Amino acid sequence: MSISLRGVSKQFGLFAALDDIDLDVPGGALLALLGPSGCGKTTLLRIIAGLETPERGQVYFGGQDATLWPVRERKVGFVFQHYALFRHMTVEENVAFGLRVKPWRERPSRTEIRNKVRSLLELVQLDWAGPRFPAQLSGGQRQRIALARALAVDPQVLLLDEPFGALDTRVRHELRRWLRRLHDELHFTSVFVTHDQQEALDVADTIVVLNRGRIEQVGAPGEVFDAPVSGFVHRFLGEVNELPVRFEQGRARVGPLDLAASEGIAPGSVALVRPHELEVLSEGAGWPAVVSAVREIGAIARLELAVEGRAQGDAPLEAEISRERLANEHFKVGQNVQLRLRRWRIYPAAA
Amino acid sequence: MNAARVLGATYAADRTEPLHLRRRPRAGLNVMRLLLILVALGFLVLFIGMPLVVVFSQALSKGWHTYVAAIADPNALAAIRLTVLVAAIAVPSNLVFGVAASWAIAKFEFRGKSALITLIDLPFAVSPVISGLIYVLLFGASGWFGPWLMEHDIRIMFAVPGIVLATTFVTFPFVARELIPVMQAQGKDDEETALSLGASGWQTFWFVTLPNIRWGLLYGVLLCNARAMGEFGAVSVVSGHIRGLTNTMPLHVEILYNEYNYAAAFAVASLLALLALMTLAGKSLLEWRRPELKYGALSADRQTKRGMT
Repeated sequence: MSISLRGVSKQFGLFAALDDIDLDVPGGALLALLGPSGCGKTTLLRIIAGLETPERGQVYFGGQDATLWPVRERKVGFVFQHYALFRHMTVEENVAFGLRVKPWRERPSRTEIRNKVRSLLELVQLDWAGPRFPAQLSGGQRQRIALARALAVDPQVLLLDEPFGALDTRVRHELRRWLRRLHDELHFTSVFVTHDQQEALDVADTIVVLNRGRIEQVGAPGEVFDAPVSGFVHRFLGEVNELPVRFEQGRARVGPLDLAASEGIAPGSVALVRPHELEVLSEGAGWPAVVSAVREIGAIARLELAVEGRAQGDAPLEAEISRERLANEHFKVGQNVQLRLRRWRIYPAAA
Repeated sequence: MNAARVLGATYAADRTEPLHLRRRPRAGLNVMRLLLILVALGFLVLFIGMPLVVVFSQALSKGWHTYVAAIADPNALAAIRLTVLVAAIAVPSNLVFGVAASWAIAKFEFRGKSALITLIDLPFAVSPVISGLIYVLLFGASGWFGPWLMEHDIRIMFAVPGIVLATTFVTFPFVARELIPVMQAQGKDDEETALSLGASGWQTFWFVTLPNIRWGLLYGVLLCNARAMGEFGAVSVVSGHIRGLTNTMPLHVEILYNEYNYAAAFAVASLLALLALMTLAGKSLLEWRRPELKYGALSADRQTKRGMT
């Protein structure tokens, strides 16, 4: 089922949580709402679910205006960060809940319910947990039960609010993979909220970056990562080095480097370069720098680099290289090196 | 390596220095502590323990026979019946109201929410006697609705309805006050999940909300009941003290006492005291059961883990 939002706005007191949002979620998509806390991503998800009503704008489900549909009629599965399992019910009863509360005429028979619950528990690989209580399960297991419970009513839309936020890194990673597989197998439309750009890049096929209640960019993970439309998106999707653009004799320069095309670059602009886009050479021509720290982080190494003319309060430049290169080139603290920018993007000051 | 040693050294220094400065509990402090404990205990015995003992010893001072006779007296039995009747009406109404109000306050945002919370607290803030007088002013012979009520031959003042009204008013906050924090702490996630799974409002309430609040609710009802049976001030104003008709237990105790019939007064009072003790016992039982439930789940968890390894 496709979902469309048209001009959706929501106000909390004086605070505009969402400001004129237009968004199309095609049927079968796995879409991530990504943004810092307070950007309105959870509010947007809750509006899609029908847990909040927008002040202005429309929500369409498969082309039908669903703005005023109550939650229970939207046929959405909603999964909370903290699972929201009913703690006084066993796992089986939790999963069966959505089937048991159906009106008498639509309610499946006891055997049907039992079979459905069993197949769902098998799907989430927790078929042994049926008679347990939620308190007896780990966080990752609880979240899988919450998913099974949401899937029991055959939702056409699955909405997840920071679903893996409360789990530790390894479990989170496993569940991401698993959610992606589940989505590909069952073909529903999924929207999930996250503040973790890795999670969004890893799982989603479309990423919506939100900032202060507005959509900054919509695109495939590669697209938003490689071609961010604003400095905000660029900074939010990964680490960056910020290099102020200077003007000398009408030419725009970053460090000692001449940016060939200076048209369209406003004064006060900034060039953003990701750590892996900053090349470090032990000799040759470039931007002279001194290695001020070397940190080895698993498979990669990070070099902190001091360059001339950088203001006192600014963070040192960071470059990312493989551990292999570090071993070959023997970069050491205090060493003089040359820098080259492999890629950069320039944004006006305000963005 | 060097740095590690330096760090280690400063760490050790950090650890030892406060030890030198730290005050050891000295003998003088122990005496002080003992003194405070004694004062607190003495206070408890004097103001709470002794009165309880006095109630029961006075009640039985003239033997079992007098005790039973005092309670079996028709007026005493009528007072007991009335007290039970009033509680049987006031407590359920406050149960329904309290659950509805705390549900609204904890789970929804609406205009006038803080005004509602203040209103719920009002009976706690107002003296019970004033609460009783309010009803006299409203329903008494010269009150606002008095003439109309007289015309239609409806008796509220100096009759059972007035007593029920006054008691309900005074015990209004108990259930709601107990449930609001419980419900607020639990948040709305469970209810929202139930709704998204297709449950109706009623189903959500019965299957999700009510089981979550059951212990808090029981606790609130116990306290509410104790107060409903023990209320004196407000009931005294509206009851009219008609023996065998509008006397509740506390009022009956007062009348017997004023007639210098101490043994009988204390006999009836001992019933109220017993009720209070039973309430407290019930309350402790609840407090003991709640963590017990939690531990039960934990130990089951331990068992499953053992089973798996």
